[in-house]
Amino acid sequence: MAEIKCPKCAGPVQFDAGTRFTKCSYCSSQIYIDRSGALFYYAIPFTLSESDAVGTFKRWAGGSTKAKDLDKLAKITKVAKKYFPLYMFRRLIDDREEVLLEPAASTVLPGLHQLKLPGGDLQIFDAQFNTSGAEMVQPDIAMTHYLTTLPGNAKEQSLVYFPIWELEYQFKGNTYHAVVDASSSEVFASTFPIRSSVAYIAVSIAGFFAFIGEGLLATVNLLAGTALMAVTVAAVFVASLYVARRL
Amino acid sequence: MSDRLSVGLNCPSCGGAISVTEGESTTNCRYCGSTLYIEGDNGVGTVVFKNKLDRDAAIKATQVWWRKGFKARDLKNVGTITEVYPIYLPFWSIGTRVAGWVCGYEERSTTDSKGNTRTEKVYKEEMVLQDLHYSDIACDPGDLGIRSVPNFSGEASFEDMDMIPTFESTTSHDDAIANAKADAIERGRESANVPNITFEKFHVLVRKVSMIYYPVWVVRYTYQDRMYMATVDGVTGRMLSGRAPGDPLYQSLAVTAGTSLGGLAAAGGIITLISFDSEVGIAGVILGLIVFGATYWFFRHGSEIVQGEFPDRKELSMRINGQTMMDRIRGLRI
Repeated sequence: MAEIKCPKCAGPVQFDAGTRFTKCSYCSSQIYIDRSGALFYYAIPFTLSESDAVGTFKRWAGGSTKAKDLDKLAKITKVAKKYFPLYMFRRLIDDREEVLLEPAASTVLPGLHQLKLPGGDLQIFDAQFNTSGAEMVQPDIAMTHYLTTLPGNAKEQSLVYFPIWELEYQFKGNTYHAVVDASSSEVFASTFPIRSSVAYIAVSIAGFFAFIGEGLLATVNLLAGTALMAVTVAAVFVASLYVARRL
Repeated sequence: MSDRLSVGLNCPSCGGAISVTEGESTTNCRYCGSTLYIEGDNGVGTVVFKNKLDRDAAIKATQVWWRKGFKARDLKNVGTITEVYPIYLPFWSIGTRVAGWVCGYEERSTTDSKGNTRTEKVYKEEMVLQDLHYSDIACDPGDLGIRSVPNFSGEASFEDMDMIPTFESTTSHDDAIANAKADAIERGRESANVPNITFEKFHVLVRKVSMIYYPVWVVRYTYQDRMYMATVDGVTGRMLSGRAPGDPLYQSLAVTAGTSLGGLAAAGGIITLISFDSEVGIAGVILGLIVFGATYWFFRHGSEIVQGEFPDRKELSMRINGQTMMDRIRGLRI
């Protein structure tokens, strides 16, 4: 909660991150909150604990495009809890409202240069805000650097801290990085060990052409065709089950 | 830039205090009666849907969902729900009216009894007039798998707003309107159903813009050390989105069925083609390939079952010159 003075009676009025109109609790006058001239500090609370973040990473690592059993074989070597800063500008450019996101700190971490603000319950970041032990990444790019170059007129500008879990893991001697967005559970990674589709394609194609051949054969010799098909069904089933489980 | 954060609202003609509610774009001063236009908030009203679900209902819905589809067979026994909480998600909800004309033609081929094929152009001139609803999530959906408002009807109430964490809107009002307009034109064009368009003209009126806060229950569960997430509609109790582990047995069964049926359909097609030289044969081969392709896709990616609008969702789309395979099959004259 932040506080402003009521412009009519000067009583303290509290408002939240999303409030646009509010009513003074003393004199009941309507107040519009004009954010164009101030810088707001917001933060999104963590909804993922460390074990949740590791679990989410494992869910992601178990995906079909990642190396088989990456979730079980990846050795997590570092887990860091961080708040990462981003500038959010809401501006009127040629009578159109636009939201512009700009980095507030330089980073090489995956996902964080994609410049998107994860969805979350924005809260006003002040002395009372509980950072729950997360490292605050300090902004090293000043906002004035952007303000002087951005087009249009200001409606609102804010520095938003969003919560991340930074993970470092090792797989087959290589070190990789992943970032888990601790508000909406998205996982970001620029490089990761991938799974080859070769075995999947080989089993499928072999089965498909075997059946075409056997289908043609069945028109000439029904018995031989059917017998071969039964063998192929069993072979494809066993081979594909092996591939799906192990490769 | 003004140097004050709060703006008291006074009537510009008489100086009296005015009261405005969110969503209004004009108001009347109650002292001097002047009609006033409100610029600050662009007339966006806020609607908050009342949450109708409790914790247990959200858990129940997820457990029922675990049993459906090709999810891991032991999920219902091994899956452990670790966390269940509601959130409010913001959506732009924009009512539009699209009006316009689409002119063009459709090509129809007919084959007469002598086997001569004639193609004729059938000219079309269609009027479009439709009222549409567009919705889009007003924050980054992350891994929630939700993009549009699940439904537009529900009891409106602000009472839960303080209790339930509310995701803030972080996208632009005007971008949302521009997207709504583009969507209206797209849907208007589709409704005209003119295959070859030679001329079109559309007008889009934006009727109402509001911000809907929709209650969604987030359910997190673990399965073999992995953490999954699913979401349940807080108004209807329906499953909205989620990820779940798949099962190698289903992947294997799918590819076995797909290669056998697909292979036989293709073989049947080849035989028909050779002996009768009919287009049915081509259709058979294509059908076989589609069955094969679809089951291969499930074999390759079925280790995770995904429901909802996820950006990384792997869709099976085989498009040739902008037409899907299914359209091609329908287009073949059998």
